Amino acid sequence: MTWLRTPPEAKPDAHAAEAADQDAAARDGLGATPEGHRDAAPATTPGTPRPAGLSLGVVGWLRWFWRQLTSMRTALILLFLLAAGSIPGSLLPQVGTNPVSVSQYYSSHPVLARILGGLGLFNVFGAPWFAAIYILLFTSLVGCVLPRTLRLVGSARQPPPRAPGNLSRLPFAVSYATPLAPDAALESAAKVLSAKRFRMRTGPGWVAAEKGYLREAGNLLFHIALLGLLVSIGLGGLFGYKADRLLVNGTSFANTVTALDEFHPGRLVGPDNLQPFTVALDHFSASYVTSGTLLGQPAAFNARIRYSASPTDRMHSYDLTVNHPLIVDGARVFLIGHGYAPEFRITDGTGRVVFDGAVPFIPVETSGLVSEGAIKVPDASPQGLGFVGVFLPSAIDVGGRLESYFPAPDNPMVSLVSYAGNLGMNSGPSQSVYSLDTAGLHELAVSPKPLAIGQSIKLPNGLGTLTYTGYQQWVSLQITYDPGQTAALWSGIAVLAGLLLSFMVRRRRVFVRASTDEAGSTIVDLGGLTRSDAAGGFEEEFAGLAAEISGLHEAHIDASPSTGNDTEETGRPGPEPHVPSDPELPTGE
Amino acid sequence: MLRLPHFASRAVGAAVPLPRRAAAGALVAAAVVLGAAACGAGATAQDTAVGNGSSFVTGSYGTTVFQPGARPKAPAVAGTTLTGSKFKLSTDSGSVVVMNFWGSWCTPCREEAPALGSLARHFAGTGVRFIGVDIRDDPASAEAFIRTFRIGYPSLNDPNDLIALDFSGTVPPAGIPTTLVIDRSGRIAARIVGQASYSGLKALIKDVKAERG
Repeated sequence: MTWLRTPPEAKPDAHAAEAADQDAAARDGLGATPEGHRDAAPATTPGTPRPAGLSLGVVGWLRWFWRQLTSMRTALILLFLLAAGSIPGSLLPQVGTNPVSVSQYYSSHPVLARILGGLGLFNVFGAPWFAAIYILLFTSLVGCVLPRTLRLVGSARQPPPRAPGNLSRLPFAVSYATPLAPDAALESAAKVLSAKRFRMRTGPGWVAAEKGYLREAGNLLFHIALLGLLVSIGLGGLFGYKADRLLVNGTSFANTVTALDEFHPGRLVGPDNLQPFTVALDHFSASYVTSGTLLGQPAAFNARIRYSASPTDRMHSYDLTVNHPLIVDGARVFLIGHGYAPEFRITDGTGRVVFDGAVPFIPVETSGLVSEGAIKVPDASPQGLGFVGVFLPSAIDVGGRLESYFPAPDNPMVSLVSYAGNLGMNSGPSQSVYSLDTAGLHELAVSPKPLAIGQSIKLPNGLGTLTYTGYQQWVSLQITYDPGQTAALWSGIAVLAGLLLSFMVRRRRVFVRASTDEAGSTIVDLGGLTRSDAAGGFEEEFAGLAAEISGLHEAHIDASPSTGNDTEETGRPGPEPHVPSDPELPTGE
Repeated sequence: MLRLPHFASRAVGAAVPLPRRAAAGALVAAAVVLGAAACGAGATAQDTAVGNGSSFVTGSYGTTVFQPGARPKAPAVAGTTLTGSKFKLSTDSGSVVVMNFWGSWCTPCREEAPALGSLARHFAGTGVRFIGVDIRDDPASAEAFIRTFRIGYPSLNDPNDLIALDFSGTVPPAGIPTTLVIDRSGRIAARIVGQASYSGLKALIKDVKAERG
């Protein structure tokens, strides 16, 4: 799509030169867009208000600004800025994805972090300057596409132009004498063209016909669909959201912000806009390849869930599998991962149970699903307790090293390192629930023997006991809501369809003139041209038409039409064998 | 960055200062800095939704006060307390209700817990009721938390997020912790998302308590 628009005057346009020589009819027929093209730099654009001085006035400046904004150069710069602007988003930790690292950055580089934070570099995609870039880019795109669309509507409704005075100058031309009278010759020619569904226009001594308006329709479709695509993407960005939730077997959650692990809302999404559905995980099963070279690779995942669309809805059953999301109230719930959550019961030094539940561990390796995690008991007495460790679904001792030979839970064991002290959870930055901050802790002297289900660690100094009571599986779910998704899909399809249509259909014109020469005989001139570079096929079409029309005229012509032979006769630079590329074409831009 | 354009709300900058204690809560400070940078620290409530790599949404920070005419109705809350007894709180019982959504695993919850515990004792017997809603927690850890911080008021166990869900469509808890102040007629008068401070929450409760029911 060319956003850089050159004015017809400034364009080194073969056709423009031709048009100057041709009569008004020809210019009408093949002229550049009525409005002309606009250039990014007004200084090179005659007739455009120059931004120099204050003489422009407010309206002039606004117009100038609008032209600048909707120029291709600006759009390209904005696109570049958008790309460049996202770089800090990948180099620096982001509040949206990793707030813990952000707080760590603030602790380690307080001054620098304050400056970076002030510039919004810890939340690039939510920063006002980033929003400014994409809003300007969006405006630039719409501002470019919308006027083009309106012009295309005009172009699609245009009748064929008047026939040029000298048809022999056209890329395809034939001339022959006929015994018929000029009017009769024109009438029969018009019948032929009309039967072939050309759009017709007649005048004294000429017939003009044009075909291929479907190209304009395709063009129009392309532009409108492009606008639709932009708007639907915008809608998704404003009203959509994305969230993650890890759900342990046998538990349930509701789609509220407090229940989500991660929440990335669109700019106009608030906690009260989430669809109030509930999902309960009844059973997750994974099967793995048990032999061959793919040993241990996942074969199938299935999460049997129940869900309700709202607190008043009843529960429905659903089998959630990979790439088969649950769609509830417009939101999609995808199954994106799974793992194990070993269960522990921990009693503290006073003998009270201070922890009893499943702790999701995160897989760190896929072939055996070795998983890591942390158990935190900040309220144990007399000292807080913390454990880090690994879960091995199919534990095996390989020369003193514990490994997992298969992802299924054939021999589920845990190996833990125990700590006591201050877990640092009563103040300071939020911690990841999957890792332990050992700064205020000391390691306890506990034998590193791995635990099988039912086995316990007795902590030294009467600090308590940990029992490994079992395990659960968990799934991680991704919730996405994008109200513009369907519209974006259809817009995308329409963009392609429009593009194909405008590629494949050529707009072509055929002119017929009939006149009486000095000798009194009727001379018929046929001329044809296409409005695009690719004339492929038109040569044959024109030859066929010429043969048919001349046949009706009881004349015989050479089957191959002359193409641009008149250049020598007139001594002037004749028309190129093709016309300049159509400025309305959405191609090659 | 998340804003809630639907509420007629204002930030109570003076009454409830955003938690900015020097070394404490660098994350909160980060969010405040970001919030100020992004939204220009105007007179409207600014909430910063913070998705969180640490596996829970720590929330949008700030206090939203609803003027008496613009207060959303709070749902009736029922459930089972951590100690296993049935509990039902009709929010229009004529008391001011302070409802705190918390979890024993959540650092800002632990940081604000002493303030909440002493405010509950301060307002005891004055027509102000405190109720906790424990989120994504195992009951044993939650009870240990209550012992540690000597919390005297009951907490409902909400493993399925149903209480939080009851508030969707009104003023849902936008992160953990969230504290709601509900007036005598059962309408939500204020929401504090993020760590509540002793003085800030006390001032809010006093204001709502002073209103004619």
